[in-house]
Amino acid sequence: METSFYLTCRSLTYAQKVSRTLSAARLRNIIVRTPQHMSREGCGYAVRVSANVLSDALNVLARENVPPKRVYRATPSGGFEEVPW
Amino acid sequence: MIYLDAAATTLQKPAGVEKAVLTALRTMASPGRGGHLAAMRAAEKLYECRERAARLFNVPDVERIAVTFNATHGLNIAIRSLVRPGDRVVISGYEHNSVLRPLNALGADIAVADCPVFDKEAALRAFDRLIDRDTRCVAVNHVSNVFGFVLPVYEIAALCRERGVPLIVDTSQSAGVLRLDARALDAAFIAMPGHKALYGPQGTGLLVASEAARPLLYGGSGSDSKNPLMPDYLPDMLEAGTHNTPGIAGLCAGMDFVESRGPDAIAAHERSLMTALAAGLSSLRGVRVFAAPDPADQAGVLSFQLDTLSCEEVGERLNRAGFAVRAGLHCAPLAHRTVGTASRGTVRASVSAFNTKEEIAAFLKAVDSIARGA
Repeated sequence: METSFYLTCRSLTYAQKVSRTLSAARLRNIIVRTPQHMSREGCGYAVRVSANVLSDALNVLARENVPPKRVYRATPSGGFEEVPW
Repeated sequence: MIYLDAAATTLQKPAGVEKAVLTALRTMASPGRGGHLAAMRAAEKLYECRERAARLFNVPDVERIAVTFNATHGLNIAIRSLVRPGDRVVISGYEHNSVLRPLNALGADIAVADCPVFDKEAALRAFDRLIDRDTRCVAVNHVSNVFGFVLPVYEIAALCRERGVPLIVDTSQSAGVLRLDARALDAAFIAMPGHKALYGPQGTGLLVASEAARPLLYGGSGSDSKNPLMPDYLPDMLEAGTHNTPGIAGLCAGMDFVESRGPDAIAAHERSLMTALAAGLSSLRGVRVFAAPDPADQAGVLSFQLDTLSCEEVGERLNRAGFAVRAGLHCAPLAHRTVGTASRGTVRASVSAFNTKEEIAAFLKAVDSIARGA
């Protein structure tokens, strides 16, 4: 199964900005609810991308000045670990 | 009925508005409150609304667009964010109660930049005289809701920038009709209704906010939920509680209409109606008309009085004849005091993109008939 990465965002509006920025660069993504154990602040939204677009996604977001709050990788055991970026 | 009360709310809406509201009612849940299809559909519509507004008003960032219930709600957010009791606030002599009442409730020290109606240079001089280092903020409407007077907001904005004073602009009568450029204004807040010249449903409004914003209402935002207070970022800090998704969907469709027709074309249409209305009323005996010498200084709002009848009586007779206008003080007693019409009020006729030359001609005939005592 392909590894997923979660780009957490401070708000739904911000997640939508991230999602649109990635879509404009033709990078597949989907907005999802942030799983509680990766969210320090409570409810929120994240943009999920697959491993093969992560690097491009982070580059595009840095270039467009729309950085995510944090990046998490979904582990095979069903957990999440924060990824430095 | 011939509807000439667009300054209160536009009654005729583009066909797409009703359809959008119904679609939202049937298919959209609460944005930002879930990840399921119906919630995400609503979220998409809300984002579309912000994007459209950002495009239409040249706002640099969609996060600065907060949805409100109406312009009054936005103005209350703006005023409560900036003003503390005793603060000096400079306002025009044409402000609506939606500015005056929140300021009075806060105990602000209000200084009125008085000027004759339709005299833009005098307005600018008055603001120039009053804005000083002790001014906490300036609040000004783009267009008077009573007289249609277009105030020189870009020049007032330049004065505010020069003196480092935050600006609040009430665009209730201009958003969707006159050029509204948020980057050029660089105001701390721009408040607007969704239900007037943006042709959305009642219960909708937008606020172009800045970092100066502070929450007015507290409650769920769908974000940062472990925080016992509201989030400290836009737009979430200003949007507590469930959104009016059907209204927002309708507002999107309304803005689509404005964008596709073009605010300049709508303004030109309304100006031609106003010119005809002003000329027609001015030609009638016993009618006092408040029309700008230069039509560019007046938006689609015009006030008049009949010498022999109270304004309310004129409004009532017009209603019986099939015309909807508004008589009285229009929730703007300050504007009436400024112009000297506070004791009688005025009859106000205001137009939208949907009014026609034929309707104006019929209206003139009706006023003539009332003025002649028929």
